[in-house]
Amino acid sequence: MDEEIVSEKQAEESHRQDSANLLIFILLLTLTILTIWLFKHRRARFLHETGLAMIYGLLVGLVLRYGIHVPSDVNNVTLSCEVQSSPTTLLVTFDPEVFFNILLPPIIFYAGYSLKRRHFFRNLGSILAYAFLGTAISCFVIGSIMYGCVTLMKVTGQLAGDFYFTDCLLFGAIVSATDPVTVLAIFHELQVDVELYALLFGESVLNDAVAIVLSSSIVAYQPAGDNSHTFDVTAMFKSIGIFLGIFSGSFAMGAATGVVTALVTKFTKLREFQLLETGLFFLMSWSTFLLAEAWGFTGVVAVLFCGITQAHYTYNNLSTESQHRTKQLFELLNFLAENFIFSYMGLTLFTFQNHVFNPTFVVGAFIAIFLGRAANIYPLSLLLNLGRRSKIGSNFQHMMMFAGLRGAMAFALAIRDTATYARQMMFSTTLLIVFFTVWVFGGGTTAMLSCLHIRVGVDSDQEHLGVPENERRTTKAESAWLFRIWYNFDHNYLKPLLTHSGPPLTTTLPACCGPIARCLTSPQAYENQEQLKDDDSDLILNDGDISLTYGDSTVNTESATSSAPRRFMGNSSEDALDRELAFGDHELVIRGTRLVLPMDDSEPPLNLLDNTRHGPA
Amino acid sequence: MERQQRFMSEKDEYQFQHQGAVELLVFNFLLILTILTIWLFKNHRFRFLHETGGAMVYGLIMGLILRYATAPTDIESGTVYDCGKLSFSPSTLLVNITDQVYEYKYKREISQHNINSHQGNAILEKMTFDPEIFFNVLLPPIIFHAGYSLKKRHFFQNLGSILTYAFLGTAISCIVIGLITYGFVKAMIYAGQLKNGDFHFTDCLFFGSLMSATDPVTVLAIFHELHVDPDLYTLLFGESVLNDAVAIVLTYSISIYSPKENPNAFDAAAFFQSVGNFLGIFAGSFAMGSAYAVITALLTKFTKLCEFPMLETGLFFLLSWSAFLSAEAAGLTGIVAVLFCGVTQAHYTYNNLSSDSKMRTKQLFEFMNFLAENVIFCYMGLALFTFQNHIFNALFILGAFLAIFVARACNIYPLSFLLNLGRKQKIPWNFQHMMMFSGLRGAIAFALAIRNTESQPKQMMFTTTLLLVFFTVWVFGGGTTPMLTWLQIRVGVDLDENLKEEPSSHQGANNLDKGTTKADSAQLFRMWYGFDHKYLKPILTHSGPPLTTTLPEWCGPISRLLTSPQAYGEQLKEDDAECIVNQDELAMNYQEQAPSPCSPPARLGLDQKASPQAPSKENIYEGDLGLGGYELKLEQTPGQSQLN
Repeated sequence: MDEEIVSEKQAEESHRQDSANLLIFILLLTLTILTIWLFKHRRARFLHETGLAMIYGLLVGLVLRYGIHVPSDVNNVTLSCEVQSSPTTLLVTFDPEVFFNILLPPIIFYAGYSLKRRHFFRNLGSILAYAFLGTAISCFVIGSIMYGCVTLMKVTGQLAGDFYFTDCLLFGAIVSATDPVTVLAIFHELQVDVELYALLFGESVLNDAVAIVLSSSIVAYQPAGDNSHTFDVTAMFKSIGIFLGIFSGSFAMGAATGVVTALVTKFTKLREFQLLETGLFFLMSWSTFLLAEAWGFTGVVAVLFCGITQAHYTYNNLSTESQHRTKQLFELLNFLAENFIFSYMGLTLFTFQNHVFNPTFVVGAFIAIFLGRAANIYPLSLLLNLGRRSKIGSNFQHMMMFAGLRGAMAFALAIRDTATYARQMMFSTTLLIVFFTVWVFGGGTTAMLSCLHIRVGVDSDQEHLGVPENERRTTKAESAWLFRIWYNFDHNYLKPLLTHSGPPLTTTLPACCGPIARCLTSPQAYENQEQLKDDDSDLILNDGDISLTYGDSTVNTESATSSAPRRFMGNSSEDALDRELAFGDHELVIRGTRLVLPMDDSEPPLNLLDNTRHGPA
Repeated sequence: MERQQRFMSEKDEYQFQHQGAVELLVFNFLLILTILTIWLFKNHRFRFLHETGGAMVYGLIMGLILRYATAPTDIESGTVYDCGKLSFSPSTLLVNITDQVYEYKYKREISQHNINSHQGNAILEKMTFDPEIFFNVLLPPIIFHAGYSLKKRHFFQNLGSILTYAFLGTAISCIVIGLITYGFVKAMIYAGQLKNGDFHFTDCLFFGSLMSATDPVTVLAIFHELHVDPDLYTLLFGESVLNDAVAIVLTYSISIYSPKENPNAFDAAAFFQSVGNFLGIFAGSFAMGSAYAVITALLTKFTKLCEFPMLETGLFFLLSWSAFLSAEAAGLTGIVAVLFCGVTQAHYTYNNLSSDSKMRTKQLFEFMNFLAENVIFCYMGLALFTFQNHIFNALFILGAFLAIFVARACNIYPLSFLLNLGRKQKIPWNFQHMMMFSGLRGAIAFALAIRNTESQPKQMMFTTTLLLVFFTVWVFGGGTTPMLTWLQIRVGVDLDENLKEEPSSHQGANNLDKGTTKADSAQLFRMWYGFDHKYLKPILTHSGPPLTTTLPEWCGPISRLLTSPQAYGEQLKEDDAECIVNQDELAMNYQEQAPSPCSPPARLGLDQKASPQAPSKENIYEGDLGLGGYELKLEQTPGQSQLN
């Protein structure tokens, strides 16, 4: 009886402790929000909310570490029943899996959901090159430099544990995940050149996915034979196979659930009940994550591609109300999760028990990440510029080099396994790198922008208007040649199949599939054909703003000559209008007669107002 | 070799995590199925099965499959190892298994009789999640949403009755159920089904208190859809919300009632301690919840956070969550704190938010409420099959069924009779029957029952609770619509209409009469209202008369500091502070128009079917309590200026 009460008491006590821990974080976040408001209000741009969250985390960590003495009531007892009393501080630490299962998915999903698709697809080739090749390069460069550094440490006798080349590579993979939230937030606010924004954003998003899979396949690298740290060809190919398998599996999984959601929302009239619709959307997206995890793929990667697919197809099937709701919901989740992770980072610098700080290693790591980033950006840009019509300017390259911030993903990957000495050292170093890059690079973005003479206040539409319509079309078609077949397929088959827009399937599919096509085409598609409005499927908006949709109006051709009056309108619709890749004459005919969507009729005034308030910068 | 082993254990961990994903995935699929089914039902206007009922059905099916289609996989966890040298149960344990040291965490204590053959079935084991999850994750959003969406006008009008039902009624019901089940327990002991001394009177009372938490979501959803009389709606809703709070605290204080010597005997000191505990926890949680809401109100008032709706929503969400966590950390009841936090947030903070944030917060909590509710009901269905230690006892179940009906009757009828003595506007018979009928049990009762399933009586209670929830949700929930027609309760009532009717019912009387009627019925509340209107509203929101006019002279500087500039400008239109809109419609506020003389003739048609224009704005307008002539004049003057 007594014992029961004791253990009950204990459970209660631990519950209280948990609540208190969580409360600390919540209050930290609240503080961060208030300070951020102050900063935004005053237009101070040198410190982003994530940087601030880290500072607060640091302060609280300091207090917890040195200010509070907890009676040691946690007992470390082994079952062989030798009591080892170890000093215990207030442990405000979470299971690292929490990051992968709870905090990262919303962040990554939101990133996928809010990709600016027009620019993303136009630069797809470059983005993929940076993300895949670049990450691989950076991983190897960092790995090799670190290996050199580690051998140096071995010689000088600073190393107190094992550190193999695979560990170095793992470190390389971990710190290859860039996360320039800070920079992107400033870009967004200052309306920096969209091309640059798309390149950076796209790279950082895909980059994360690549880095996760890369690190898990490096961990899975298990050479046969006794010596487990020599080079082994079969094991390496196995690792590469694992990489490809996991990546494509996660991709397929994410895309598949996205497609299922699109179909469900298309063929049910769920849009009459927004709550149900939002619920379905949320649950399906979450299921992607769980499905991928359950099948042994990487949930975070699946969620990323699910987000992109959802934005591309499902988003168009949702009622406007649900579009707002889902955007806002994920925006909030993203905001909370991001700041939570960053404040946890600050906290963990002091509360994590097994930090291993080694100056040589830290210095080596700093050098390595800069070299790795440089080896990633400059050669690849050079290669890409050979193929690109619109070159990536050298100031853009410098900016991309500069924006190699490390953030949540690197941290989460590093904290996942801190069992061995090598991992602990990596973790401590990653933490320092994140701090440094977020504060220094994040804070220096505005200065850097003006130093590199990168245009700010750029309007995405305006950019096109400088170029005559015809020329623009060819430029586009060329730069996106890689993408042309896919686009065709998407437009002719996938869009009509999954959404209400696009030409009816009955016209695009061969005659033999007639009945199926009729069954799959939604009635709206026929109407669409009459009205020739097929562009409503491409609207996805970027962060922060209320989504507004604009059709590509016929004004376009006339206004190409006079950009001044157009500018007023253009400014408002800049990130709203996700124009299609123009190609072929057929497209152009449609384009010429396109109508403004009826559903948006009510919104332009509001938007214009909004626009005048901000003023064309 | 060593590495191999580590690899193995990593694999194990991997497996383990996958199982976690699978478990969640099952719930996700159940919810998706539920959503789709519900859509189908809503589309065809079937009202006999609410979404929660549907969730339970799917949960049951899934539980059945999991129970009989999966084989036990892990034999190891069924065996018990001895550690003689440990004399207590530490919270973390390092275990040395063949030279590898692992860290294990304290989960719970298992009584000897609970270790059975099913223990090894890993999937079943994983499918029953920690009951604390209900209290820490799932219930708070539900309760907060309930508080946040209380229809304040009617709630405050009926506050006296609601409080009576919630406090007195729950106490009565708890004691009645306790007594009846005690009788049945005695009968069971007599019949030899139970050993003497296992099932104490405190256990019976515990059962009574957890069974007293009514949760008529199903009924309320139907009421909402059919636009049943708002007074009835408010009485039921208010009662069920407060009821939950009372039941939770009551259960807690009964569970800590531990007399010194004989645990079965009555001990005055321990009893008073329990009562003191009840009052202390309740008051503490109330204070904690409202304190956080007041902080939020002040923050949103004095910062211009409304320029950034996302930050605003984030702040709102975080502070509401902090109310829960602080209460838990301080040893109070988080759920109760969250409830009062919700009510206060709706009353004050809501008015300071930008219209964008108003929408966002409403939608966010609505969404979370929806998900959490369906997860809980799904889990209930699942638990019937996956829970390992069910004890079905026919006699006890019978007794419990009998007890909850009798107790509900003892709660509603006598209290209504007493209340009717004091109320101007009586609670008619058909309302009383309806309230009696809608004594559904739901999430709270379940969560309270599953919290502790260690001893045999507790397991028996849990099983019985589960059956009661099933029965009430399906049978009573499904029978609501027939019951409504049978009792001839008006449906399709419009809130606005209701107000306009009153002048017409007292034909000669004018608006002043209405004012006095209202003031009478809310007698208890008058002082509070005055205080709220004059001091709290101006301090916490942008509305109301400026503090400089209401506070005495000597607080001049403070009052000038606390009054927002808007208050001076908008001295006359202070009723925009009361717009909070219920459940799932978009938030819109309408101005109350001056009573239109043409509405009385239309009334006849309203009884059976909803008037065509009514549904759109009926749950929309939330006016002030009309009191005094001063108020009344105001109600007619405001222009359309605050349509937002």
